[in-house]
Formats: sequence, C-alpha cells, structure tokens
Amino acid sequence: MLSAINLTRRFGDRLAVENASLTLEPGQIFALLGPNGAGKTTTLRMLAGLIEPSSGSVNVNGRAMSRHTAAEVRGHVGFLTEAPGLWDRLTVRQNLTVYARLHGVPHVDQAVNETMALFGIADRAAQPAAQLSKGLKQRVALARTLLHKPDVVLLDEPTSGLDPQSARDVRELVLRLRDEGRAVLLSTHNLDEVERVADRVAVLRTRMIAVDTPAALRARLFGSRLKIALAQDASLLVATVAGPGISEVTSEEQTLLVSVDNPSMRTPALVRRLVAAGADILSVVPDEPSLEEIYLRLLKDAQDERRADPAKGSQ
Amino acid sequence: MRRVYALLVKELIDLRANPALFVPAVLTGLTSLALPFVIAIVIPHLTGERLSDSSDFQLALDMYRSEPATTGLNPEGAVQGWIFQQFLLLLVFAPIAGAMSVAAYTVIGEKQARTLEPLLATPLTTFELLGAKVLGALIPSVGLTFAGFLLYFGGVWLLADPGVYRVLLTIRSLSIVFMLGPLAALAALQLAVCVSSRVNDARSAQQIGALIILPLSGLLVAQLMGRVQLTTPAMIAAALVLALLNVLLMRIGVSIFDRESILTRWK
Repeated sequence: MLSAINLTRRFGDRLAVENASLTLEPGQIFALLGPNGAGKTTTLRMLAGLIEPSSGSVNVNGRAMSRHTAAEVRGHVGFLTEAPGLWDRLTVRQNLTVYARLHGVPHVDQAVNETMALFGIADRAAQPAAQLSKGLKQRVALARTLLHKPDVVLLDEPTSGLDPQSARDVRELVLRLRDEGRAVLLSTHNLDEVERVADRVAVLRTRMIAVDTPAALRARLFGSRLKIALAQDASLLVATVAGPGISEVTSEEQTLLVSVDNPSMRTPALVRRLVAAGADILSVVPDEPSLEEIYLRLLKDAQDERRADPAKGSQ
Repeated sequence: MRRVYALLVKELIDLRANPALFVPAVLTGLTSLALPFVIAIVIPHLTGERLSDSSDFQLALDMYRSEPATTGLNPEGAVQGWIFQQFLLLLVFAPIAGAMSVAAYTVIGEKQARTLEPLLATPLTTFELLGAKVLGALIPSVGLTFAGFLLYFGGVWLLADPGVYRVLLTIRSLSIVFMLGPLAALAALQLAVCVSSRVNDARSAQQIGALIILPLSGLLVAQLMGRVQLTTPAMIAAALVLALLNVLLMRIGVSIFDRESILTRWK
C-alpha cells in the first residue's frame, strides 16, 4: 500500500533523514519513534508528498511519487499534521466542507454529515473552530484527514497535548482505522500509546535504527526474561544464577531479572540452584521488557555504534 | 477549477467573518470617492469662484472642448467632467491598494496560523492555491470598485452640472472601471501574493506589498499633470499589456512558490 525505499533528505549541509525504508500494509498500524529532531516529521512529509526526498522513492498504491504525480498521490493519503491547522473563523462544517471539495469527495454535504456523526462532532457543526477545545480541534482535524477515505493515513503526534480521555478517543479511532483495512503510520513520543496500538515499530534517528514488531524487537534485544521475586536481597544470589543458557542477570532489591535462551527448559534447574543456595522464592514469572526499555536500548546501542564508527552516524 | 472554487469560498467566508480586513480598502475608496466632489463642487460652492474662471483649469477646458461627451456642456461643466474623469483612476485603484495588505498576508498568514501544511497535503496544485488566493482578494476589491463607481456616478448625476455624468459613460471611462481596473488589480494582487509566498513574516509582506501601489500612484499623478493621456487606443494597449503581464505573473508566481521552504524554513 505504501513503500519507501532509501529515503534521504538533506537541508543544505544538514542530513535530516538517511536511507530510511519502510513498508506499510493494509490493516496495519506502524509506529515511528524517535527523539526530537530525529527526522520523523520530515519522513512523514516525504511520504505525504509535501517535500521531495533528496534521493530514494515513495510508492503509494502502486503509484510512484514524483513532482508530476505528487498532487494525485496526495489524494490517496490522509495526513494529520502536528498542529490541527483548522481555519479559526470558519465553523466545523465549513472547515470540513472545504476539504471535502478539495479532495473531490462526491456528495459533499452527505459526506461531511456522516463524518461529523462518526467523529461525534455533529453538535459542534455550527461552532467556529476557534471556540473548540484542543481535544475537539484534534478530533475535527482527524475527521478532516479521513474525510476522503484515504487508503494510507499518516498521523503526526496525534495525541500530543491531549487529556487522557481525548487521547483514548484518538487511539480508538486509530484502531478503528486498522479494522477498516487502512494502513496507518503513527509518529509519536508516547510509548504507552504505541504499546497499545502498534503492529510494527520503527525507531528513527536520522537512520532507521530498527524496524520490526514489538515482540520481535523484545526477543532480539532482551531474549526471554524471567522475573524472580525473593524474600531477601537479590544481589547476593546473582552469582548463583549463572549457568548454561543464561545470558544476563541483573538484580533490583529483592528481584532478579534473568535472560534465558529457553525458559521452559532452564527454569526448573534455575529454581533448584536458587533454593539450594538458600533463596526464599516468592514467585517466578516471565518478564516482558516495556517498549520504553526497548526504545532506550535501541537508542543507546545506536549511540554506542556511532561513537565506535563516527562515519556511520555523520549528520 | 473545482478546487480553486473550494478554496475561494473559504477565502470569502474568512473575509466575511473578519470584515475589518477590508476597512482600509473601504476607507481609501470612500476618500477617493469624496475628493473630486470636494474639488469640483464643494470648494467652488463655498468660495463662490467658478472653476472655469481659474487659469489652472484652462488646459482642462481646452482638452475637453474637443471631447464628444462634453458637447453641450458649459465651461464649468466641462471642467467638472475633466475632474471627475481624472479622479476615476483613483477611484479604481484605491480599493486595490486596500486589498494589497489582504493579498500580501494571504500565504504567510496561513503559515503563521499553521493551516498551510494541511492545505498543501491535499491534491491542490500551486496554480490552484495561488489562483484562489488572488481571486479571494480580487473579487472583494473589484466589487468595492464597482460599488464605488455606482456611488460616484450617482453623486455626479445628482450634484454636478447637468449632463456631466455623460463623461462617466464614455468608452474610455467604462474601460477604466471595467477593464483596466480589474486587470491592474489582478496584476497588483498577483504580485502581492508572490511577495507573500516569498517572505517569512507578515510585516515584510505588508511593507513590500505596499510598495506595489507606487507605480499606480505615479500613473495617477502623471495623468493629473497631463503627462499621460489615457486615450482609448492607449487603454486598449495598456489592457493588452496588463493581460500579458497577468499571465506572466501567474507563471512566475507558480515557479517561485517553494512549498519546501515554506514548510521547513518559515517559522
């Protein structure tokens, strides 16, 4: 549905994005993570046909994006910009009507009415956008983004600055888009949000540091991990845990975190060793590192790699 | 054209919701409307001196004696006719000057309100965007000009000597209002929109936009001094030049509109 191959974008001497590649499938939510200035918005703008890549290509629904096709391709993409960007003096209905016409939506009035009903903003139709709360503005902006039923939806920080209820509403809308078979690319700093909705995750720091499912990233970075709760100080037992199939052991107060290659095979022997060493075990449960841990590890690894080979991360 | 119309409707709704934007255009229009009446009717009435007795207007009198539209007018009427026709140019250009600030603000205004990026994310082409922006400023300013002309004509018909109103119904006068004026307005507003798409703050846009009215003011002064004669063939030639200039300006506007700079460098 959308593919980007080796996207690179320079602004003068500054390299904003380097060789970023990704594919977006129908019914998939793809999260783009990265620190501020990592190139997320630039990437989204290239995918939306707003700016041209210095090199590389973007393909939407089999149509290659170029200077000559960009206007047409933009019609297949819905791009929610970081700011809602509503015309303040126009009412909600007027804002949506203008965009419906710009996108050539048939039966404009009907489409606008249906969209407003879908997004729960029908009662605000006659209200000027300036009078809306931030959450409502974002909802209207989302409605505007989806008015022409795009196959590909690009969302730049869709829940930024929203209260928890509004953020949840937006998340539910994003999930609904996936259920409708749309391809959704979500750029965000909110890792909790990504954890809840994303099928695939990419971490960008000028270059794509990693692209995969959250589960695969977890397995790749941390393997399988066990969390063992003890009745005593866990640091005293770290040396006891070491053995075949165990790659990493850390302790936090009365908890041991143990990375193992095969939990079902290694756990009984591990428990026996701990009990023999006098450990009072309260529980042994599989531990899944949070997306935040994965994200921070990926950024740290990338930074270490860059320190080791500065040419790789030259910006 | 569908997208131009969509954005044009937005521009007009936006202007209607903020009529204060056109206050300068209305004020300059009203001032330019009142000025010839003050010179041709109010001052002679207050001083008791006839314009046709003044040597300052002898040239006007000589020029107007040969005009078919002034046949049958007395000398005072002929001078009034000359004044009302000379000031027609000011009447036509004044609302344009007022609309310049609107046009100059149009792109930078969208950028500052952060409404430009969603707009550029639609299939709207640069030509369509600029076309709608220019028309959004042109239609109200031309509307004001036409309304001003109706008031002007009514005022002349009621207040000037009998028959003077005929000078406003000549091909030359009507061409100024309905052909030269709109074409000049289109050119000036296109320039202003070009400026708006190149500068990165609203104050620069408005200041540079204001400079564009200088050539128009120069033309007016030259005409009042008798240096330029807006004869019918001269106006047809001017209209053709303006039409070509408009085509050229639109091409230039499209080619210098840099979406990327606007999105990535303007703050």
